[in-house]
Amino acid sequence: MNTSFAANLPLLPAWVNGRARRLIRALPIAMLLVLWEVLVVSGLIDRTFLPPAHAVILAFWDMLVHGELLAHLWATVFTAFVGLGVAVVLGVFLGALMATNRWVNGLVGPLVATTYSLPKTSLVPLFILWFGIGDVTNGLTVVLGCLLPILVSTHHGVSSVPAVLVWSARAMGTPQYAMLRRVLLPAATASILSGVRIALGYCFVLVISAEMIATKLGIGKLIFLYGENGAYAYMLGGILAVVVIAFVADRSLVMITRRLLYWHDSMELRGAHA
Amino acid sequence: MVSIRVRGVDKFYRARQGAVQALAGVELSVDSGEFVSLVGPSGCGKSTLLYIIGGFIAADCGSIEINGREVRGPGLDRGVVFQEYALFPWLTIQQNVAYGLEARGLSREERRATAARFVDMVGLQGFENHYPRELSGGMKQRVALARTLAYDPAILLLDEPFGALDAQTRESMQDEMLRIWLSTRKTVLMITHDVTEAVYLSQRVLVMSGRPGHIVEEFRINIDRSVTREVTMLSDDFNRVRNDIWLSVRRQLAPGAV
Repeated sequence: MNTSFAANLPLLPAWVNGRARRLIRALPIAMLLVLWEVLVVSGLIDRTFLPPAHAVILAFWDMLVHGELLAHLWATVFTAFVGLGVAVVLGVFLGALMATNRWVNGLVGPLVATTYSLPKTSLVPLFILWFGIGDVTNGLTVVLGCLLPILVSTHHGVSSVPAVLVWSARAMGTPQYAMLRRVLLPAATASILSGVRIALGYCFVLVISAEMIATKLGIGKLIFLYGENGAYAYMLGGILAVVVIAFVADRSLVMITRRLLYWHDSMELRGAHA
Repeated sequence: MVSIRVRGVDKFYRARQGAVQALAGVELSVDSGEFVSLVGPSGCGKSTLLYIIGGFIAADCGSIEINGREVRGPGLDRGVVFQEYALFPWLTIQQNVAYGLEARGLSREERRATAARFVDMVGLQGFENHYPRELSGGMKQRVALARTLAYDPAILLLDEPFGALDAQTRESMQDEMLRIWLSTRKTVLMITHDVTEAVYLSQRVLVMSGRPGHIVEEFRINIDRSVTREVTMLSDDFNRVRNDIWLSVRRQLAPGAV
C-alpha cells in the first residue's frame, strides 16, 4: 500500500493515466538492462564474467520452448505455494491462539523468539537425513521459514484489536468461542496479510535455496547446475524465470489484499497510481 | 421500579506505585424508564463505573443489580454506546446495525428489515452499503446508536456518546437522543463531561467526586421537554440548575476554591 510520503509526491502530472504510469514505473528496470547490455557488448565488462542481457533473454526463451524450464519451474512453484499455504494456516492458527491464550503464549513465545533469526535453510541437511531428497524436505524448509513472519504478524494483529470492539461484540451477545472468527481475525486482516506478503517473498528464496542444496527437480537445481558448468546465460535465464513468477505472485497478492481490505482505513490514503 | 442498582462499589487499578483506587463506595440507582446522567471531573472513574455496570470489568467490592439480578457479565438487556463508536470497520452500515439481532434469534429476513428500519430512524438511508470509514464522526455515532437500539435492550449505557463530535453535530445528536428517549422510554445512564448536555437530556444528574470517585450530589431536573431547544436552553429553570451543577463539578476539581 503506497501510503508513504514519497509515494504521494507529484512525480508525474495528473494527466498521465494508469497505463502510462505503469510503463514509466518500469523505466528504472529498463535502464538497468540497457546499461548491462551496453557495458558487456562494448567490452567494458568481459563476457566471460557476465553474459550480455540479450543472451540471458535468448537462453530463457530456449529453455522455455524446449520444455526443460517449465517442469523445473512447476516443481518449484508447487513446493513454494503448498509450503506457503501450510504456513498460512499454521501461522494464523498459532498466532491467534498465542494472542488469546496465556498458556499457548508462554509455550510458543520463547520458541519463536529464539528461532526467529535462525536461517531455516541451514536445517536442510538434517531434513534430508529424515525425509530424503525431494519435495518433503524442500516443502518443510518453506513452511518453517514462512511460518514465523505470519505467526508474528497474526499475533500482533490480534493482540492490538481495541478492547471496545471485543466489548461491543460481547454486549451484542457474541459468545467467547466465536470472538476470534467474528471480531479478532477480521480486525487483524491487514496485519495478517502484511505477514503473508513478507512470507510470499521468503517462500521463493527458501525453496530455491533448498533445491540448490539437493533435489531431483526444481529451478534451484537448474540454476545451480548451469552455474557449476559455467553456462551463466542459462543460469541467469533460470533466475529471470523466478523473478517473473515472484513479481506476478506479489502483485496478485497486493490486488487481492486491496479487494479484501476495501473497508480498511489505509485505503483512504491510496494514491491514484498506487 | 428500580432498573439499575449499584451498592458499595469499590474498584482498584494496579499501577507501578501500588494500587490506585478508582471508585470508593459508589451507590446509585436508576428507575425503569428514567434518564440519568453522571457528570464529574475527568479521571474520576465514571467510565470505569459504566464498564462495571456493563459487565465488562468486575468490581472489587460491592454489588450491581439489573432488574434485581446480580450482574455477571455483559448481556443483551444492556446496550452500550462507546465514545469512539466501536463500529466493526469490516462490516457495512447495514451489517453493523444487524449484528446484535443475530443473538436475538431473528431470521435473516427479519434482521434485514429491522436493520433497515433503524438505519432509517437515524436518518442514514442510502448509506446501508457504505463502510464506517466512509462516514463522518456524527454519522458513525448515529450508526452506533442505531446498532444498539436495533436489538432493543431495556437499558442504554452511554459513555460520553457525543464527546468526539463538533458542537453543531453534538446538538443535533442530543435532540435525536431526546426524541428517541421520549418515544421509547428506555432506561438510560449517560456519562458526560458536558453539564449542559446532562441537564438538557436527563431527569436526574449525579455529580461524582474526583478520584476515588463516589456520588456526592444529586440534582432533579424538572423542565418541560415538549418545547424547542431554544426555549429550554434560554429558560431560567434550565440555567439555574445548570449553574448549580456546574459549580458542584467545579468544587470537585478544586475543593474550597468555590
